[in-house]
Amino acid sequence: MSAPKSTRFLTLDTWAVLLALAAAVLVHFGILKNVPW
Amino acid sequence: MASASAIPLAPITTPERGSLLKRTAGLVPGILLLAAVGYGGKFIEHTISVYGKAHHLVLPNIEYVLWAILIGLVISNTVGVPAIFRSGVATYEFWLKTGIVLLGARFLLGDVQRLGGLSLVLIAIELALALTFMTYLGRAFKLKPKLVSLLAVGSSICGVSAIIAAQGAIDADEEDSSYAIAAILALGAVSLLVFPLIGHALHMSDRAYGLWTGLAVDNTAEATAAGALYSDAAGKVAVLAKTCRNATIGFVVLGYAIYWASKGQAEVVTNKAAFLWRKFPKFILGFLLISLLSTVGFFGKPQLLALGNLSRWAFLLTFAGVGLRTNLKELGKQGIKPFLVGAIGEVVIALITLGLVYGADHWYHL
Repeated sequence: MSAPKSTRFLTLDTWAVLLALAAAVLVHFGILKNVPW
Repeated sequence: MASASAIPLAPITTPERGSLLKRTAGLVPGILLLAAVGYGGKFIEHTISVYGKAHHLVLPNIEYVLWAILIGLVISNTVGVPAIFRSGVATYEFWLKTGIVLLGARFLLGDVQRLGGLSLVLIAIELALALTFMTYLGRAFKLKPKLVSLLAVGSSICGVSAIIAAQGAIDADEEDSSYAIAAILALGAVSLLVFPLIGHALHMSDRAYGLWTGLAVDNTAEATAAGALYSDAAGKVAVLAKTCRNATIGFVVLGYAIYWASKGQAEVVTNKAAFLWRKFPKFILGFLLISLLSTVGFFGKPQLLALGNLSRWAFLLTFAGVGLRTNLKELGKQGIKPFLVGAIGEVVIALITLGLVYGADHWYHL
């Protein structure tokens, strides 16, 4: 299976880390409060 | 990652093919398909549970994980995945890594150190045995030497990612790489069904089963799914053990690169530190960072719950992708020999790691 390996500046891994950190910051500052499951 | 077995590579990695915005928009249909398939699995699990309760029936609790994979498999192997969805479906690995980083919030650094340290010791033993066994097995089946290297790396460390990392480093053929990936993917699909059954038959604890899955199942997506199929706690441990295994990619690939370079069949690695950094999966650093933040109390209890749920949503997209990217017909087209070597190797590695986990459970009381 093929996944997007990298973009011009950042790798797939780095994008994943940035997205997760952004979500963590939103949760920490209460912008993202309830995440249902 | 490139594979002969499934959906063709999405063109989003080629900057000259359009603006970032256009390429991102091209991912939307596939991501929506991942969400629909994943949520479909969750809906089926919920419906069966509600129906059972309403009619006072004891129905088997089949997790959404399995339903999502099955729905994906049915689509991929009947109508196929239309071209418009393919680039978006290929993002399932991105969601896997995002989910793993977020899952770091549910681990205190002490747990990571304890369980991760134990995992690394077991991984070192597993690697030494698995690499040696796979090398001799491949030679016995008279496979091409570089294909043997790829199969050994794929089945002992990290499935597809490790094969891709090794392919460039040892200058292996595209065809060899496709064979190895196809074999690893097919065996990963089998392990999804077999591992939970064995775990239940042996009455394994969540921790022991999770550790076993993380050590034995090759692809990170399949290891995560096989763990989650057993229980939430097992899924967490499986991800941690598998992440530790992923961390060794660079070292093993470097070893193979040096070996093949010494035979004049691959480029010489001049800067080993830079090579290791290039091959190191960076999402592991993100996982450790979130775990550190969690340990120092950066997140409150409700926030930890929110992050845990975000991680679950990311995994839901991943599991849908596992089914959608598996094309059984394509897998069957690959040669029988690499598959056989992979299969024998997987069984032996599963048994070795099961023994290691039982030993660790006996001595360290997992």
